Amino acid sequence: MRVLVADDSRVMRQIVIRTLRQAGYDWEITEAPDGAAALEIAKEMDPDLVLSDWNMPEMTGIELLRQMQATGLDIPLGFVTSEGSREMREMAEAAGALFLIAKPFTAEVFRDTIDPFLA
Amino acid sequence: MSAAIDLASYAGSDPIFTIAEEVFGAMIDTEPETLREWFGPAPGFGDPTYAWVDVGGESPGRVLLTTERSTATRVTRGLLGLGPDEAVEDADFVDALGEVANVLGGNVKALVPDPGALSLPRVSHAAPDGPVRDLVHELLLDWRGACLVISVWSLP
Repeated sequence: MRVLVADDSRVMRQIVIRTLRQAGYDWEITEAPDGAAALEIAKEMDPDLVLSDWNMPEMTGIELLRQMQATGLDIPLGFVTSEGSREMREMAEAAGALFLIAKPFTAEVFRDTIDPFLA
Repeated sequence: MSAAIDLASYAGSDPIFTIAEEVFGAMIDTEPETLREWFGPAPGFGDPTYAWVDVGGESPGRVLLTTERSTATRVTRGLLGLGPDEAVEDADFVDALGEVANVLGGNVKALVPDPGALSLPRVSHAAPDGPVRDLVHELLLDWRGACLVISVWSLP
């Protein structure tokens, strides 16, 4: 499984990747430093899943999701973001996101959230 | 974001302490229960680091983390899983502290009804400039003997 991780924090990308491994996901990971870069990479590599931060420079995560949809990229996207309020979850779901994982997170939260979509 | 955090509704527990405990437990320190409230006045920070995010909207505010630079370096090591003697790059220091402020701010924002957008985090060895209105809440934390201060400010 090929996964694109988009976050403007390199440290957080490392933590997300480390947590994916701790959760047991031995996936091929590509990193993007913001939404705009993630969109370009997604067009090139056509990943199986995008895990994206919400609040990023250049292009936010929700803009990335909408841009992918507008350009016909049918790639599932889940948010990994510091904002997990009900309003944000509703906005993410309405935009077509697969899920929203709020930071801070654990490997158990990753498994509980992501596993149902892998079946 | 000022008075909108109704601490009385949390039955005596400080919701910001709960947030900080989750952040440290999940991201920074693999050993449980190393974070507690700091008793007594805050020590003066001789070489401080400030990391903060602002929340926009009708009641704008700021969530600010303040600590000694050496403590901030230890926080960075924890986030990156580095050993106690491993060097910390400046870029990683700024990135890590900003991400801690971002996660704290995002979770504090969730306590407030109808908040605006969260800014990108900022990290500095100088206190944030520009006007602030009121100190809404301040929490002093003891992490392995070092003091960290989380303060929530209302902005004009």
